[in-house]
Amino acid sequence: MRPSARLLGLEVPSSRTLYVCSSCRQEARPRPILARQFLRNASTSSGSTPLTEKVRRKLWGTENPPGMKDPYGGPGALEKKLRGNQNVQEEGAGEIVEAAEPAEVAEAVGREDADYVPATSWEGIEKIGHLGGWENYPATQSDEYSPFMLKQKLTKREHIYLAAHQTAVELCLLHALKKPLASIYNVVEHDKSVFKMIWKCKIQPGANGQWEGVVYPNKQTEAALVYIFEQIGGQPEGAVAEAAGETEQAEAEAEASAEELDEGAYVSETSGLPFFGYQDVRDKGFLSLALNDPAVKFAFLKRFSQLSGHFPDPIIHPTSNVKEVVDLILKSFNPKPTKLADQLFNKASLQSRSNVKIFAKKQRSSDRDEEMGRKKVIEAELRARGLIA
Amino acid sequence: MPVQGIRTVAAARNGVGAFILPCKRMDFHYCDWAGSSRGMVSFLRSALPSFAKANPQIEIRVSPRPHKHPVVKGHYINGREKAICVRNLEPEQIFNKANLLKEASGEKLKRTKKPVTSINDSVRGIWSPYHGDIKTV
Repeated sequence: MRPSARLLGLEVPSSRTLYVCSSCRQEARPRPILARQFLRNASTSSGSTPLTEKVRRKLWGTENPPGMKDPYGGPGALEKKLRGNQNVQEEGAGEIVEAAEPAEVAEAVGREDADYVPATSWEGIEKIGHLGGWENYPATQSDEYSPFMLKQKLTKREHIYLAAHQTAVELCLLHALKKPLASIYNVVEHDKSVFKMIWKCKIQPGANGQWEGVVYPNKQTEAALVYIFEQIGGQPEGAVAEAAGETEQAEAEAEASAEELDEGAYVSETSGLPFFGYQDVRDKGFLSLALNDPAVKFAFLKRFSQLSGHFPDPIIHPTSNVKEVVDLILKSFNPKPTKLADQLFNKASLQSRSNVKIFAKKQRSSDRDEEMGRKKVIEAELRARGLIA
Repeated sequence: MPVQGIRTVAAARNGVGAFILPCKRMDFHYCDWAGSSRGMVSFLRSALPSFAKANPQIEIRVSPRPHKHPVVKGHYINGREKAICVRNLEPEQIFNKANLLKEASGEKLKRTKKPVTSINDSVRGIWSPYHGDIKTV
């Protein structure tokens, strides 16, 4: 039997200051031993039986009802934490600790790790869970992409000339060796020594801008370049083996002789620089090479765009030589803004209108005077007074 | 000699005889460099030919005014002129401003206090004490 509210109130007189309803007060307070003697239900004699268990027993009408003891799946997170804190405190006091749950043990071990540093940002932490999209997976080898053209377009006019010169020499060589022009696209960048040899070559175009007439600085360079471009163009294995010994010697000699040539345009620090630091072409004869043959034009534009990053789209069809291509690219570097007056002057719909006057320069009051015929009078008067010469 | 009547020509009365537009000239000033003239440049490029064609009686002058905001100026037959700054306006807005100047009379803007105004004398004439019947009070 429950103790009366009056009795409880007398036991704890200090709690009267705050209003607590009688039923709550009874639930919260430990029952006196005297009161327990009057409890009729034997199941409630053990004070640790939770309310849910009591309800279950009452519902099933038996002392051992079937099903889970705790319908809510064990203690909650807050309860676990509280219990964990109690355990830690007990350990510190040197008392015997009861066996904790495995998860709690693991947590405690993690905290005691000397190398553990709490993270302050997400960076470096293992990513857990994703949406399953392609972008959520780490990059694979097949995801790597290298563009055909340069990632960054060339911005110096000298480099454009160098790219056009290199393209012209390469195509001339392939043309002379009767190799497919498309084979040069596989060579994204030459070796420094090879590029130096190409740079030293000059081009004397034929009568109608024919793609022939590469002028080599010496015989060794010619032999080396022919050997290299035979390989680039695809040569039978036997011929390559024969020529290998000769050309290696020729390359070495070409290197030695190249040292003697002028190196004024060459910069010693060439790492990462376009065209190995070479500043300008030695000869501009390649500019007059003709691009009338569609196959040659295609090969030139493709290789030129690969080396320079620029593609002269607007003049692909009408262009007839290399100079036009280079000029268009150079023009696009610093496009001069056109004046609106010039555009309006050239507009046919305004040219035919008699009531429209367009001036290219700012109109001042003196212009107005001149138009009205007053300027002569004003100047004559000023001259008479000696104010103007 | 037979008497010959003098041939009369129509008097210039606005809305009755020949109509003369008060706006006789319009100036369009722009700047090639400044961003506030972007709309003006676009207007001159695209809408000016049609505007000039629609208004052949107005003389149109286009001239640059470097490093200044774009301006549309209207010159009127009464000798006055009106200017509107059209900085940062869109071509359509500039077209509306040009129409406003075109349709303006050139007079200063006045508040209209009476609903009807006329330059003609009153039909009833001016009251005179010597005319009309004797009034009995």
